[in-house]
Amino acid sequence: MSKLQANISGIIKSSVIDGPGNRIVIFFQECNLNCMYCHNSHTIGLCNLCGTCVDTCPTNSLKIDSENKRIIHNKNSCTRCDECIKVCPENSSPFYKQMSVEDIISEILEVKDFISGITVSGGEVMLHAPFLSLLFQEIKSHSGLKHLSILIDSNGNIEQKKWDSLLPLIDGVMLDIKAYSAKTHKQITGYSNEKILKSIEYLNDKNKLKELRFVLTPNYNNDESELREIAKIMKSVSPNVGKTLIKMRNHGIRKEFSFLREASNEEMNFAKDIFGQADIDILVI
Amino acid sequence: MEEIKNRVLQVLTDGNLDYRQKKHHLAYIAESTQDYPDISKEAGEALNEKIICDLFEGTAPYRPRYVLPDYAYALKNGVNYLELEPPTNFDEAINFLSILYIQVPSITGYSVYLGNIDTLLLNYVGDLSEDEIYKKMKLFWRFIDRTLPDAFVHINIGPEDNVIARVILRIERELKQVVPNLTLKYDPEITSDELLLEASKTVFEVAKPHIANHKMTAADFKGEYGVVSCYNSLPVGGGSHTLIRLNLKKITDLHSGDAESFISGTLKKYCKMTLDVIEARSKYLVESVKYYDTDFLAKEGIISLDNFSAMFGFYGLAECVNQLMKRSGKELIYGKDEEANQLAHLILEEMKKIVDAREVPYCKGNNGKAFFHAQSGIDIDIEETAGARIPIGIEPDIYSHINTVAPHHHLFNGGISDIFHFDETVKRNPAAILDIIKGAFRKGMRMFTFNLSNGEFIRITGYLVRRSDLKEFREEGSRYGSALFAANSMDNANVDNRISKRVISNEQVAGKY
Ligand code: SF4
Ligand code: SF4
Repeated sequence: MSKLQANISGIIKSSVIDGPGNRIVIFFQECNLNCMYCHNSHTIGLCNLCGTCVDTCPTNSLKIDSENKRIIHNKNSCTRCDECIKVCPENSSPFYKQMSVEDIISEILEVKDFISGITVSGGEVMLHAPFLSLLFQEIKSHSGLKHLSILIDSNGNIEQKKWDSLLPLIDGVMLDIKAYSAKTHKQITGYSNEKILKSIEYLNDKNKLKELRFVLTPNYNNDESELREIAKIMKSVSPNVGKTLIKMRNHGIRKEFSFLREASNEEMNFAKDIFGQADIDILVI
Repeated sequence: MEEIKNRVLQVLTDGNLDYRQKKHHLAYIAESTQDYPDISKEAGEALNEKIICDLFEGTAPYRPRYVLPDYAYALKNGVNYLELEPPTNFDEAINFLSILYIQVPSITGYSVYLGNIDTLLLNYVGDLSEDEIYKKMKLFWRFIDRTLPDAFVHINIGPEDNVIARVILRIERELKQVVPNLTLKYDPEITSDELLLEASKTVFEVAKPHIANHKMTAADFKGEYGVVSCYNSLPVGGGSHTLIRLNLKKITDLHSGDAESFISGTLKKYCKMTLDVIEARSKYLVESVKYYDTDFLAKEGIISLDNFSAMFGFYGLAECVNQLMKRSGKELIYGKDEEANQLAHLILEEMKKIVDAREVPYCKGNNGKAFFHAQSGIDIDIEETAGARIPIGIEPDIYSHINTVAPHHHLFNGGISDIFHFDETVKRNPAAILDIIKGAFRKGMRMFTFNLSNGEFIRITGYLVRRSDLKEFREEGSRYGSALFAANSMDNANVDNRISKRVISNEQVAGKY
């Protein structure tokens, strides 16, 4: 098997919210957007071994292993206080691990009798397209695993051609649309959304768009014209694509973004009505 | 005599009991004037100290604990005693069963088994539309709840997908009644995914049905089986004379050595004693009371002594194992640590061997042996965890949970149940539940249910109570016998804090007076 490795920030072996059925979810480290309301901001960056967390840890549970360029984490003394994550200047964490395709396959094998499929999530998983391609091929050629469905949870901020090698292997992609106007998108995520809009169109054409989600963020993407444009995009894709309107929750977001406010019921209903007027069947959560 | 008078007066004047409940308790007091069936002094002491627990069955058994009438036989042949001709259509069949249910005895005074109802009624559907069936069944369901108010009253559906099973699940979701408790017999080769999905959605609403591994359970019985009361599996046309359970925690407290000497000494001794009590009670019922010679169900072939056996139950496995581990200097815990799980398994296998090695009279229903049963607990169990369950609050993640308990489920031909807990979010994705159910059965589980946090129904040890009934009972008494049981359980076992819910029994109530 290939020596290719990926940085994995976590694996959830039973999730009921990452696609149909019970699923194993593999979270990849590193993202190419930086959303203000990110609830897992420690999965955005890569560790540069600066040592800030090592010095901060109140239980001395972290050590730099400079030879292998990684951080050693003592699980027994760690109290899960998450101080290390809060102080990391890189939006990273000392906890993610390098794993091979083989390592991940063995994790899936452990739970294969209980799941409908696997979902890869992030961070941004499409930054690891070659690794994913190998992983998915391995799953599809494994007699005990090939029945599992494969879903990608992506932000869509990736060149079109990166999708091509993966599409034949997967069942679908779940994608967020953070804003329509490039300016608003940049405010929310730090980047513009051209590639994302293209990804939506492309995946829809290829019949691989599974779900399109919109996170309502008051004062940013909740004015009427913005919502009508989002509705247009939602309307432009197949009716089979699941659509979800998500209320931005502000627990777990970074301190510097604590000014973000959750939408009121009126604001949620306002958005819901606009999607309703466009005749879009949307799930609100 | 003075003492009896006082107990009777206490029942008569208890404003929380209705007329029928009072009668039940008065009968219990009357029964308690009789000598206990012939057992050794040592066994008598163990009973007194609740090391061996007869679940308040009373001192002079005059009816079997669990009766599973062969309703199919009765429907086909009619019942002379009740002057009932075989029914010829759906209405007559429901009417027939409604009358018969009231006449079936059990330890609680209410029938604990109402049949594999979809299979029974399918013969009478004729050209009724689904809507007509729905209307009739809804009235039938209301009748059952109002006349048999005890959550041990249990009805079965499946394994085939059929219109009646589906209608019942729909009615369950609409009526949200405590009674009857419900089990779906599930076989991946027979039951459709759609029916299982309907069942899962129903569990979200009313914390039932329980899901039974049909193939595995059916293989343990010569004829048909039913799931009754607190998830006991027993032969149809028969049942169980008695259920005596051994308190594994208490015998571990009494034991003063390591795990090995526990298994070869203390455990063996008390298993034997438990079997002695089972034998004495069974004999009393058969030989002194002559129940099976005199009851109309037996006389008319709706039940037969040959289909009866008795049940050997236990509880408190978790406490037993944890304590034995501690004594050997290891802080290892059942449900968490492999070594502790292995010890648990060893203890269960040893018990099963002991039970299987003992011929018990009048147990032809299980080839002359008692059924082995992981007893799911009652309200007085303050320090002991039900059966072989992992204690409330320390249940590990779903897979570890299944991997811990599944390896021993095959041992329990008399039934076992585990409860898995899910967050409310699963409601949006019921397919996930199907995955888990199928996975759990693939791993060899026999029976389980699952609970959602914040559901309206509360499962406690063996059965179901409505949250509002509990509150009401504490304030003013409840129509359901089981609510008292539940109230006690909730008070005793911090079940309120438990991630979920479950029902209990009415059986012990009388022992309070
Ligand atoms: S979470 Fe653990 S490693 Fe991180 S700072 Fe706290 S104790 Fe240290
Ligand atoms: S995890 Fe963050 S704080 Fe810790 S060494 Fe790496 S970059 Fe620095």
